[in-house]
Amino acid sequence: MQIFPLHPFRPKGDIPALRQQVRDLVAAHEHRWSVLQRANCWFSFDPEFSRAMGAAGLLGMVWPKEYGGHERTMLERYVVLEELLAAGAPAGLHWIADRQTGALLVRYGTETQKQKYLPGMARGEIYACIGLSEPNSGSDLASVRTFAKKTPEGWLVNGQKVWTSGAHKSHAALTLLRTEEGSERQQGLSQLMIDLDTPGITIRPIIDMTGTHHFNEIFFEDVLLPHDALVGVEGQGWRQVTAELALERSGPERYLSSHVLLVALIDAIGPDPKADIAQLIGRLTAEMWTLRQMSMSTAAKLDAGEDPIVEAAIVKDLGNAYEQALPRLVQAALDVDLAGNSALSQLLAYYLLAAPSFSLRGGTPEVLRGIIAKGLGLR
Amino acid sequence: MSENRQLLVEMAEGLFADLAHVPFEDAWPRIAEAGFATLLVPAEQGGFGGDWGDVLAVLRLSGLNAVAAPLAEPIIAHALLAQAGMGAPDGLLTLVAASGRAPFGRHADAVVALRDGTLSLYAKGAFAVEEGHSLAGEPSDLISFTGPAAASAACGADLDGLGAFARVAQASGAMEAAFTLAIDHVNTRVQFGKPLAKFQAVQQALAEFSEEAAAVDASAAACAAALDAGDAAFEIAAAKYRLGLAVDRGVPIAHRVHGAIGFTMEYALNRFTRRLMHWRSEFGSDAVWAEALGRKVAALGGHGLWREMAARSDRLIA
Repeated sequence: MQIFPLHPFRPKGDIPALRQQVRDLVAAHEHRWSVLQRANCWFSFDPEFSRAMGAAGLLGMVWPKEYGGHERTMLERYVVLEELLAAGAPAGLHWIADRQTGALLVRYGTETQKQKYLPGMARGEIYACIGLSEPNSGSDLASVRTFAKKTPEGWLVNGQKVWTSGAHKSHAALTLLRTEEGSERQQGLSQLMIDLDTPGITIRPIIDMTGTHHFNEIFFEDVLLPHDALVGVEGQGWRQVTAELALERSGPERYLSSHVLLVALIDAIGPDPKADIAQLIGRLTAEMWTLRQMSMSTAAKLDAGEDPIVEAAIVKDLGNAYEQALPRLVQAALDVDLAGNSALSQLLAYYLLAAPSFSLRGGTPEVLRGIIAKGLGLR
Repeated sequence: MSENRQLLVEMAEGLFADLAHVPFEDAWPRIAEAGFATLLVPAEQGGFGGDWGDVLAVLRLSGLNAVAAPLAEPIIAHALLAQAGMGAPDGLLTLVAASGRAPFGRHADAVVALRDGTLSLYAKGAFAVEEGHSLAGEPSDLISFTGPAAASAACGADLDGLGAFARVAQASGAMEAAFTLAIDHVNTRVQFGKPLAKFQAVQQALAEFSEEAAAVDASAAACAAALDAGDAAFEIAAAKYRLGLAVDRGVPIAHRVHGAIGFTMEYALNRFTRRLMHWRSEFGSDAVWAEALGRKVAALGGHGLWREMAARSDRLIA
């Protein structure tokens, strides 16, 4: 059995022109961005850039036109994403809405939900986050306890979500909740789209070890939501969320989140490196190039309507490993002043601390390898 | 897959499965008879008229079956000669790598070398052979030229690069074969009252191995596509280095899950892992290709790297 047959990446349309469009947009906005704002850029915020992306027709690219989308292909969208990441463009505000939440609403949302959220998301003005983890529910997502009780007035929500990236900047949270009293595990779960300005919701920051505010806790105390906050089918939340995770795992953000560090390394070393540093750059490039082939192939499979669960887990696990090794290898090979002001100094110092987060978002190596082993018939 | 490739693959599958345990002396005549050597020679020059995607498909199958005869070497030698407008002699042709070694050199009727942009063909009698062995026990002979070349021509190709691609292609098959053996072993070997496959630590290790096999497959296919687009210098350097990493990470796992049986000559695993370990060094080591790629990238500059990679994949979209 061939584990990873390469699926050709053949997007329609004028791809070089599309790349140029993104590069021009970045060039028009990058004067505002600090070195560190370009690091881990799909977690970095610039509302003006997000709106410019929307105005340029580069958000909601694959959604129907009637909801503000542009009916382009998933592979064209992939090209836009990799260009943003390679350039370190702060795309964090709109990232989740564009990648996941909007896509899920297109698929499962009611007409009202689509009208309410999608056009604003496509303009780069409405941002979303994903309410999955809870204090006692991390890798074991099926153990969520936050409960939405169906009442004549609507859904009455009580409980807590945690590790919610970007909740403090988001308008709404697509949240996985238990909607059937006494249900266990994957049964009785549903997804609700929760406007975060609803009374009874408290959002508290959790500062991560880099000193940055991405994570939040969200508390729900007798939060009353309309019946049509339900997204998709009541009780089918698990299936809907799992499909969402496959979209999440194989994207270019799984190997390009640290690309600006590689760029800074290459620029700091100059055109004529010593043999050992040339080897380091070659090694990193070879891994990155291979991951790109694998990520593009998986995108092409998704685009062809296949469900490449194993491939997506492989891309994420190898991508995490590469990105976590990158700052350590640079640190080991070069004498970089971690308190210095050069781009390389600032980025290396940041990524050494940020790297542990890469294996959190979207599944730990152990979870991913479990998925792969299962796919290979091993358990 | 093109119809031609389908036929080619079916023929190769059947033949290589037959040759899986056949020594060179009996295997080579059958490969020669099947005409694989002229796979890349254009049909109007009497060859099969295939492309690098076809070469990948065939070499992958040879690696999967641990065929103990040259295949990549004659394919590349014939392709280079045809491209340079030089006639090819009868018999077995092999390549002389930059290292001076020629796989199966002692059996060759002629060898092809590329030095400083000149492709040269040396017939038997014009070169001397100092015998050596690969890690897999196959001939890896040091060649010295004792007479004039039978023919020479200018050539812009990179012989070691093409050899490196061939090793990546063969390795993609060998990785799969080693993986299949490991899966079969852990599913049937019972210890502590259950198959090894039931142990989470074993599952995780084999998941890691599968990731490495996947990386080799993906990079081999991307190289073949780049070769068919006319230039694969960047891709081959990346893929050959990545193969080294896959061997480094994967081979120890394949052996670890097998225990002592995997270390025996009798059990099949070594037919694949010994080749994988040898191919890692052949036609340029990790260090050689990493430095070559690193120098290319340094010359491109930080942003130039991404632009180059994007342009190189965009040329495949048509």
